[in-house]
Amino acid sequence: MNPAQSTQGTVKERADVALNNDFLRNAVKFTTERLRSGKQAAATEHGNWEEWRERGRQIRLHTIAHLDYYLNTFVENARKNGVHVHFAPDTAAATDIVMTIARHKQAESVVKSKSMVSEELHINRALELAGIETIESDLGEYIIQLAGEGPSHIVIPAIHKNRYQIAELLSEDAGEELPPDTTILAGYVRRKLREKFLGADIGMTGCNFAIAETGSMVLFENEGNARMVTTLPKTQITLMGMERIIPSWEDLEVMATLLPRSATGQRLTMYMSGITGPKRTADGDGPEEMHIIIVDNGRSEQLGDPEFQELLNCIRCGACLNVCPVYRHIGGHSYGGTYSGPIGAVLTPALNRNVAEWDDIANASSLCGACYEACPVKIPLHDMLVYLRRRKVERGHGNRWESLGMKGFAVLMANSKRLALALKMGRIAQKPVVHDKGITIKMGPLKGWNTYRVAPSMADHSFREHWQELSEETRRTAPPMDAQTRDRMEQILRQRRASGITGGQHE
Amino acid sequence: MNNSQSTPDWLQQLEEQSRISQQAFMDNISTRLRRPRMTEAPAHPYRGAPEFWSGFQWSEQQRIDKFTTHFQEVGGHVVRLQTMGEAAEFIADHAMQMGARYLVRQQQPELAALRLEERLPDVQISSWNSDPDEAWTARAAEADIGVVIADGAAAYTGTVMVTSAAQQGRSVSLLPTVCIVILPVDRLYTRLGELLIPMDEIGRENLPAGMHFISGPSRSSDIENDLTIGVHGPGIIYTLLVG
Repeated sequence: MNPAQSTQGTVKERADVALNNDFLRNAVKFTTERLRSGKQAAATEHGNWEEWRERGRQIRLHTIAHLDYYLNTFVENARKNGVHVHFAPDTAAATDIVMTIARHKQAESVVKSKSMVSEELHINRALELAGIETIESDLGEYIIQLAGEGPSHIVIPAIHKNRYQIAELLSEDAGEELPPDTTILAGYVRRKLREKFLGADIGMTGCNFAIAETGSMVLFENEGNARMVTTLPKTQITLMGMERIIPSWEDLEVMATLLPRSATGQRLTMYMSGITGPKRTADGDGPEEMHIIIVDNGRSEQLGDPEFQELLNCIRCGACLNVCPVYRHIGGHSYGGTYSGPIGAVLTPALNRNVAEWDDIANASSLCGACYEACPVKIPLHDMLVYLRRRKVERGHGNRWESLGMKGFAVLMANSKRLALALKMGRIAQKPVVHDKGITIKMGPLKGWNTYRVAPSMADHSFREHWQELSEETRRTAPPMDAQTRDRMEQILRQRRASGITGGQHE
Repeated sequence: MNNSQSTPDWLQQLEEQSRISQQAFMDNISTRLRRPRMTEAPAHPYRGAPEFWSGFQWSEQQRIDKFTTHFQEVGGHVVRLQTMGEAAEFIADHAMQMGARYLVRQQQPELAALRLEERLPDVQISSWNSDPDEAWTARAAEADIGVVIADGAAAYTGTVMVTSAAQQGRSVSLLPTVCIVILPVDRLYTRLGELLIPMDEIGRENLPAGMHFISGPSRSSDIENDLTIGVHGPGIIYTLLVG
């Protein structure tokens, strides 16, 4: 799906590669920890975080539930502002529109600011095939572009590279040896990209939010490159996911409160720009022509799906990546798609409409729910991962041995005599492989577990076999219950019987 | 190749295609939402920040203190001044100290009144878009210092707002190495919402093309989380709080 990065093999194989890379694992851990604690500090400092989250969720839910109205309103207003709006149901259509514009403009170079949608569309490849120089201008994106890789984190795309690797890449680019010093490396990129900004024919951006009522688009960034891209080239092309809409500027205050704090722990990114149409006739800078391409590419499939519609509420902050115990160990490239971490595990199969092909990344989660707790708009990602796994089984992509095992387990557990017999037989059968109360053989179903751990042996006597003895012991040693407590408990029991609740009884 | 086609014809053709796709695009959304197309504005009960937030206000002194703290925390500089004369003096002193050779300022009467040209005879000073034949982005790109006036500011996030117009270039606060923002104290509000809500009120047709909310120097942590200042935009930014 994505030739720019390794999507070969399973998520497990890709993760194995990542787990062997100590720098990667430590860098991801360090960065995500820093971002996570930054977010927690920012949320605490701001206060009433739960109220803000709830409000963010409400605004996103409301907008998505009325998306036809708000998107259409945005389109009409943007047109009135002089923007040329286009619709792209899929990657091919989006690419086609970009290429049509580039050809008409006889563009030789395009400078881009960070856009996850453009990663999704692999637009750089299409432009370069047409001989158009395409430059990522976000520092991290520029680095991974030189390396020929995709982003491994939504917010910090080059999280997996160290300064020596970066110095090597930039030295090659510069044609001279650059020392592994952050300031010097960043200084080189500043000089190099300055020329590119000033000389580019087209500036291409993503879109964090689009304001329906005024037809404006909003960009959040720290470096100033998105401002360059929307100020200097004569033509601006913005790629926008169809769900990026919010109704008003008033609603933007909520998003501006949630997004930077959740992404990096900042009160606000260094730059937030609201762009309403191309430059006015008398203005001295800004694009003369502005195009907004509204991209579906699988998004509308989530609409009306009660299990996945809330995916469209996502504001792309990356907070779920930073708290995910799995992401922090395997890094972004192991997920194999444009989006990584918990959001990627759900979004990739959803956008690709192909659960079977991406099914294994739904398993790259411990379902601990940390992603939901971190999400500024409260998307229940861990529930969605369970839904995905269920769909995968329902569509016949389950593991045959796993279903067989489950069926066997059901048969066994349905009858206590059968269970007791099976346990007795198990205790006899395990004898040859038990050493020191543990089983170490790496065979069959025990292979995965026993590679890193020791499986405990079955106990000599089961809990049920112990029960008689245990209950005797309790009766003998426990002090008599005082009358008041007994009365209260008996009353509870009577109430429960009267109310007809019968669950949880063993007899 | 469409190059033979004139741009207006070409754009016209694109627009026709766009309107056809628009219909299908919107119909697909409403079909999936399992209802007819919605053409009237729905009630939006959750508009904007939570209710408790809209009453939140700091006193002027608190706004000044908080703005200063927040802007400085991220690496910006704040200088408290009483008059525009002091601002002029500050800019002139700093331009000389830094050995500035080029300075670009917005073409606004308040900035013209600073008479920087007289104070800095050795510095080449240009006033944005004052000559239609000049390559203005190039002038801003070569400038050591850019001087702008803020249209508003929010203390809570430590943010100044600048807008674009014929006399106010976006490049002036973006391309020079050093950016100096003059912020009259009466334009300093508490919350970001106090700058955003007026955008809804003044309406689409009155919005400037570019509105930029600036909260500090250009920065990046993309190389090993090591903070770098001045990646693409100005690495040094001063807010002169005047009044």
